[in-house]
Amino acid sequence: MAAKSVPVTLSSVTKIFRDPKTRAEVHAVENANFDVKPGELVTLLGPSGCGKTTTLRMIGGFELPTKGRILIGDSDVTFLPPNGRQTATVFQSYGLFPHMDVFDNIAYGLRIRKLPQSEIKERVEAVLELVGLSDLARRAPGRLSGGQQQRVALARSLVVEPQVLLLDEPLSNLDALLREQMRVEIRRIQKSLGITAIYVTHDRIEAMSLSDRVIVMRDGRIQQIGSPGDIYERPVSMFVAGFVGKVAFFPAQLEGMEADGRALCTVGGRQVRAGSAAEGLGAGARVVVMARPESLRLVGRGEAVATGLVTARVYLGSSVEIYVKTDAGEILVQLDDPSGKTIPSEGETVWIGFDEKLVRVLPAE
Amino acid sequence: MFTKKKLIVFAVVCAIFAAGEYWIFSTLQNTFEKNSVKEMTSLVRAMTASAPKDDEDLADWSGQLAGTYAGNRFFVIRGVPGEEGSESVGGDSALFDILGLPANAATAEHAAESVSYLEVFRWPEKVSFSGVPYTLMVAPVPDEENGSARATLLAALDSSGYVAYGRLVQTLALVAFVLFALGFGIATFSRDPISGYAILVLSAVVVAFVAYPLFEAVRLTLVREGRFSLDVWKTILSNRQYLQALWGSVQLGIVTATISTFIGFMYAFAVARTSMKGKKLVTALATMPVISPPFSLTLSIILLFGKNGIITKQLLGLQNFNIYGLGGLALVQTISMFPIAFLTMQGVLQAIDSTLEDASLDLNASRWHTFSHVTLPLAAPGLLSSWLLVFTNSLADFANPLLLSGSYHVLSVESYIEVTGMSRLNNGAALSLLLLLPTLTAFLVQRRWVSKKSFVVVTGKPSTRLSDLASPGARRALTGFVAVVSGLIVGLYATIVAGCFVKNWGIDYSFTLVNIGEALTRGRQALVSTITLAGIATPIAGILSMVAAVILVRKKFPGKRILESLIMTPFAIPGTLVGISFILAFNKPPLLLVGTGAVLVINYVIRELPVGLEGGVAALRQIDPSIEEAAADLGADQATIFRTIILPLIRPAFISSMSYTFVRSMTAVSAIIFLISARWYHITIQIYNFSENLRFGLASVLSTTLIIIVLAVFGLMRLLVRQSEFLEKTVTTQ
Ligand SMILES: Nc1ncnc2c1ncn2[C@@H]1O[C@H](COP(=O)(O)OP(=O)(O)OP(=O)(O)O)[C@@H](O)[C@H]1O
Ligand SMILES: [Mg+2]
Repeated sequence: MAAKSVPVTLSSVTKIFRDPKTRAEVHAVENANFDVKPGELVTLLGPSGCGKTTTLRMIGGFELPTKGRILIGDSDVTFLPPNGRQTATVFQSYGLFPHMDVFDNIAYGLRIRKLPQSEIKERVEAVLELVGLSDLARRAPGRLSGGQQQRVALARSLVVEPQVLLLDEPLSNLDALLREQMRVEIRRIQKSLGITAIYVTHDRIEAMSLSDRVIVMRDGRIQQIGSPGDIYERPVSMFVAGFVGKVAFFPAQLEGMEADGRALCTVGGRQVRAGSAAEGLGAGARVVVMARPESLRLVGRGEAVATGLVTARVYLGSSVEIYVKTDAGEILVQLDDPSGKTIPSEGETVWIGFDEKLVRVLPAE
Repeated sequence: MFTKKKLIVFAVVCAIFAAGEYWIFSTLQNTFEKNSVKEMTSLVRAMTASAPKDDEDLADWSGQLAGTYAGNRFFVIRGVPGEEGSESVGGDSALFDILGLPANAATAEHAAESVSYLEVFRWPEKVSFSGVPYTLMVAPVPDEENGSARATLLAALDSSGYVAYGRLVQTLALVAFVLFALGFGIATFSRDPISGYAILVLSAVVVAFVAYPLFEAVRLTLVREGRFSLDVWKTILSNRQYLQALWGSVQLGIVTATISTFIGFMYAFAVARTSMKGKKLVTALATMPVISPPFSLTLSIILLFGKNGIITKQLLGLQNFNIYGLGGLALVQTISMFPIAFLTMQGVLQAIDSTLEDASLDLNASRWHTFSHVTLPLAAPGLLSSWLLVFTNSLADFANPLLLSGSYHVLSVESYIEVTGMSRLNNGAALSLLLLLPTLTAFLVQRRWVSKKSFVVVTGKPSTRLSDLASPGARRALTGFVAVVSGLIVGLYATIVAGCFVKNWGIDYSFTLVNIGEALTRGRQALVSTITLAGIATPIAGILSMVAAVILVRKKFPGKRILESLIMTPFAIPGTLVGISFILAFNKPPLLLVGTGAVLVINYVIRELPVGLEGGVAALRQIDPSIEEAAADLGADQATIFRTIILPLIRPAFISSMSYTFVRSMTAVSAIIFLISARWYHITIQIYNFSENLRFGLASVLSTTLIIIVLAVFGLMRLLVRQSEFLEKTVTTQ
């Protein structure tokens, strides 16, 4: 049932809401530019209120952009109503039709398209099979579990063979285990149909594990677009670094850039050759050095960039997490393969160092 | 959306439409003008042909003409004006003055020339005297040989009809253009044209049938002979009789509201805060007066306490007891309206978290102390609000005072008498507008003040009551009180039923079935037309109110607040005002509707829209908007979404809106009494006529029939709504 995959393009899309009473403006989305390649799954990731849903709703046709253009394939759909474009949305609250059973819910879009009865039956049964709900065709949605409702919503969107699938935090109402299962499921179905998909979430793990690319947003602005690896290892700002994973920041002084992209800087009075640096930084800029927990380690006083007291230890089996209170804030150090090593206990003073190649210089905020 | 290309297409199409329209309407107007000139010319020719033969008699001629052709003005000149030897003979000299004006010299010369050639000359401009437009004709009176004009007749013919026609044509052309431009604009520019059209239709309906009639009513009281004037209001406000009626209405309102609120509160307290038995029955009985047809309780009161009343005459042997007046009115209004207070107060008491009272009782406060220091203060805004509600209802009430006011004056009936009895439409309009004043004040107080202060403690979840807030003694007293009032209600309805089977109430109480046959024969036509029109109005009001609800809840568009206020307006204004404004607006072109069934249907629809709208809005707010968005996403347009998603989901609101429309249309009085015609009569007016003619048996039969219909409709509604209850549950748990 795979339709031909199409790209989605947003150029300079801005959405300003105006409060009808106070006339105050809310800049929900500002100057968003990105494109989604055919068959790609892209997530919009960001904290609550950053404009993810608004962006998605503009692509779905539920909101009109204040400025800018939206293209699906080659056609400009900016002003088309939802029923005029080939998108299908899976809503956070599912939006199932409570007065219809599962079958009729899924068949709704096909009936609107006035397909013959036999084809409707065939296609609905096929998609029920795909989402594993063949047994529940005649249930009312009110009598389904959250995960089942979610799958009905997905099936209802897929059955009309949309060019673009839009998902707005589809898993947020599910418990952790189910969420993980459904994540895999959605990814499998999306890949097998080769459908272009845009997925909204504020859960970084979900974003990292699902997407081909991630778009990080903050206060209506796009901060960074890149593959999960990109934004994890090479964030452009402290915000992105902090939002997509655990991280420690050390205040530093940038001395200069080297030809191979490495950055020379001073951290805690020590000279460091950081593995990479954000673009556009010059010598003397106020910067920080970011280090992920796995690049940190406990070292002798001589090699340290920071020091502090251990506040907590957490055993995770294959590793131990140690929380250290330092001048630069609380830092998490992850020690792999703990057996046989001496693990510092709470209240002990430790020195922290990092693997130079793995750290990155970012502009200070 | 607005692209350059669309704007150009829009402008071009509108221009073509305007040009076509201009062509049609100017052709119409020209043809009409030509015909009317022809007519006027032959009219003055006929006049001059009948001129007195003797020149000496010409002096009286203009007077004779003015007598024969009333409403026109004449002036006679011997000879041809401006020529040697011409001489004014007599008539309305204002006409002659026009010829003499220096600015008119050239035209006057043309006129004289025509006259000397024995041709009728039409003055090119309209002339106007005291606000009325006239066409001035200058006509020769030929001499015997038909050779020359021996005299000239200046005839100013009343052309107000002609001018009105011109204005009508222009108005229609403009309205047609505006509607076309809006419709075409929506089709061109809107992303959701169906909603656009729905907004357009709703706006057109409320502008034409709410705003326009009210505007006409206000205008009539402020305009005299085409000029702004406060004469009407001066008359109204200086006339003792009218002021008496105003005071009478207010006095009655105060008495009724106070007693009703008291009884209503007793009822509500008994139901919500005590362990009284038979709560369901008591509540059901109390809702009867709200839904039962007008005149029925009044009728029953007359049967019991009137001159030939079974209690006053038969039981007590009173000779000169007079139930007509403030006392009787307050009694019947209280019984009809205390349920409003009861239902309001019940809502309020249920919303107050009873754990507060429990806490007070736990702190060893006495029940009385708890009641007076906790319950009463919390319920106070609710008490005020139900007082105001009953007060406005009492003021707007028309049916009860119509039968029962006697020599007591109230505004609603007074304005009715002004309009139908005295044909003083402007006074009637002013009086019914006056009625709006206290009503509006109460409404605003309610909105501004009460709604802010009320429900101080609302937890949202219905609290389960355990403790009984009345001591056993108080409870017994309360139960007794409720029982007496309920008994009275039962008695009143029983009296009506009994009235059906009695030969001649007050005189001969023998059993008979004759009334039933006669009433149904004589009332058949009224009954059929009432049911027909109510049946037509019901689905229209039902659909329209649900569409309005969807648009007002889900759509954003400019002018939304105004549209909402206009839809809600008929809810706040008394029926008499609606009725009067309807005859003012629809007894003339372009919407000549009075006398048709349509005007009744329209009246039902606009008066019931507000109730349906509120129900629809409440139901829609329960529904997650993403359900509708999902449908749109799957390809459904607005109309399909409305039909396949919204309507099934708000079915209970839809059904109850329809049944209320049907019932209220079947039991309407105040507005439609102005609008009925011989062809489209109304059953309630028939009941009124029977009662006025002391045919109480017949009135009882029709009342009983109406009560049965009303109960049947509500029964049916409950059945239908219950079937969809499972639905409501799934909607709200989503
Ligand atoms: N209809 C609206 N009217 C006014 N402001 C709105 C409207 N919809 C959204 N906003 C505002 O726009 C901003 C972005 O909202 P949006 O729903 O896109 O956030 P989000 O990123 O999806 O957040 P969440 O993760 O909480 O769902 C918020 O500040 C929100 O208050
Ligand atoms: Mg959101």
